[in-house]
Amino acid sequence: MTDIIEAMDRILKDTDFVLGWTLDEDTGVAEPARFHSSEQAAQAVLDSTCVHNLAVHLPRLKESTVGIVAKGCDARSIVQLIVEGAVERERVKVIGVTCAAGMLDVKAIWRRHGYGARIDDTGDSLSVGGDRVDRNEYLMGKCRDCGAAAPVIHDELIEMSGPGRDSAPTSSGGSNDTTPDGTLALKQRFDAMPAAGRRAFWREQFSRCIRCYACREACPMCFCRDVCTMQTTDPHWAGGDTNARESEMVQLVRVNHLAGRCTGCGECERACPVGIPLMLLLGEQNNIIEEMFDYRAGTDLEAKSPLLTFDIKNDSWGGG
Amino acid sequence: MRFLAEEKLEALLHLLAKSSSLWTPTAIEDAAGTVTFEPWKPGTAPVLDRFTTLSAKELLLPATEKLFSFTYSLSEGEESVEIEPEGQTGETILFGARACDAKAIKVLDALFMQPAGEAYGDDQYRRRRLDLTVITIACTTCDAACFCSSFENGPAEKSGSDVFLYPVEGGWIAEGITDRGGDLIGGDSFTDSGIDPPELVVTRSVDIAGLQEKLPEIFANIDFWQEATAKCLSCGYCTYTCPTCYCFNIFDEMRSDREGERLRGWDACIFNLYTRETSGHNPRPTIAKRYRNRIGHKFSYYPANQGETLCTGCGRCIRGCPAGLDIRDVLTGVKEL
Repeated sequence: MTDIIEAMDRILKDTDFVLGWTLDEDTGVAEPARFHSSEQAAQAVLDSTCVHNLAVHLPRLKESTVGIVAKGCDARSIVQLIVEGAVERERVKVIGVTCAAGMLDVKAIWRRHGYGARIDDTGDSLSVGGDRVDRNEYLMGKCRDCGAAAPVIHDELIEMSGPGRDSAPTSSGGSNDTTPDGTLALKQRFDAMPAAGRRAFWREQFSRCIRCYACREACPMCFCRDVCTMQTTDPHWAGGDTNARESEMVQLVRVNHLAGRCTGCGECERACPVGIPLMLLLGEQNNIIEEMFDYRAGTDLEAKSPLLTFDIKNDSWGGG
Repeated sequence: MRFLAEEKLEALLHLLAKSSSLWTPTAIEDAAGTVTFEPWKPGTAPVLDRFTTLSAKELLLPATEKLFSFTYSLSEGEESVEIEPEGQTGETILFGARACDAKAIKVLDALFMQPAGEAYGDDQYRRRRLDLTVITIACTTCDAACFCSSFENGPAEKSGSDVFLYPVEGGWIAEGITDRGGDLIGGDSFTDSGIDPPELVVTRSVDIAGLQEKLPEIFANIDFWQEATAKCLSCGYCTYTCPTCYCFNIFDEMRSDREGERLRGWDACIFNLYTRETSGHNPRPTIAKRYRNRIGHKFSYYPANQGETLCTGCGRCIRGCPAGLDIRDVLTGVKEL
């Protein structure tokens, strides 16, 4: 852990505090924390349970100069936030982390083995509750085919220890199909569904939505938050009923508003209390955006999101 | 005590579902291991080895419910509004609650079951509550998020339950807690039993003594609350999965230009919009102030006003918090101030 502690120490000199992770003693996994001093920085950890995308906090911290520890995928969110003007580059110092073997889907592990089951990851082997398990089965979906292990933005760069990847870490973005554990089969089934079947599938999924807005609040790009159009009363775009129809409206508007902006971090899906596979939709949309505009959100500080530059008069893909 | 054999369970569920709307913990398909209380369908086995992600509060406080519908009419210059109250609900049985879920119902009763006409008595709640039977499965195991042992009686808490089922080899020992529960286990699905109920689990415990007085004392210590809630995202995960959080919003939805419905739906004090006033002023503009209210309400104001702690230690808010915030750490932090 010396790398992260030293990097944090250096970054602390130029910032008010650093967003990173510390160890939760109860469960033995990483939990997000703010580090204000060298003394606190000594408690920083960096391991395969640092699943949270801390970039979500940045738009709310405009008054401060903030240090942030960011994995490759998290760094994409920071880039996109800067591109959209939600975060000032000068006010954020990034401790980029080149991810080694991906993050563990802690939520999925605990749903299977019970909350708090001990996760012991030596890098070479992974065990849960004392039993050795297959790492591939317990990786976050987005980590299975990651092309974002190397952070595109960083003021410090450190490498996470762990087993090596087969190929060198890249920052091109990898697959958009970031479906977490247990939903890979679902993804294949979904792809084979006819349009009508997909509609029925989503109606069923959204019928469970309880409108807690955890998806929105956990999303680094949903920084409209408290002025979200889905909660305005005038105009009254979405009804307050928690039925499939209204929830579908809310969810699809959110997804559409993330077109060309979603960096595929999967936090919405991780936060959802009722397990709606939101990344199926967002991954598909990210594929479409890439196909149409050759654009991946959060991979280039100089790029503009296509839907923020679209000019109806110069419509080049067949419309009016 | 009576005994329910494992192989008699399905027949019992069939029987219960005949006369009532029967809800059981159900594994949801394509939902990453989510288990929630759902209307029972013949052929599905209740999930009894995992905790439900959502609590059972929706049986008493639906995520949205119609209070009444209204129709506006204008005839010969006369304006009128007709109001049609929401109809009756039927008998409901909740099978597979945990002691913390059942206790939560008792805790909510302290407010919503106040006599009609008193400040908080609530007709819709009362109607559903009087029609509700709760069959609880006693806990012989727990996980690291459970902390019901912090509260009087812990996992042996029987208030809110009509029947208590203790898991034993081959089935469950059944104890009738209320008359209604006693009648239920008097049925043919159960047999007499002399077996002793098993030891219940002991969960982690948080010292909550004195919080009622301490929380108002440290109300102005905003530095503490800011530090304690720094990672909170202000999402509704904790409040919406909590069995005792009951904040609600009342709003109208028009179904046509003259007809509409007045609805009540879940809301959360952790949301910015919950306290934002029409003027734009918000008395709780920061996450720290909102989370402080959540803790204050649960462990000080509600106990002071209603005589019950508004938390039963079910641990749902801990298991699922996307930011890894643990309410027990916050409570311990308050104690240490």
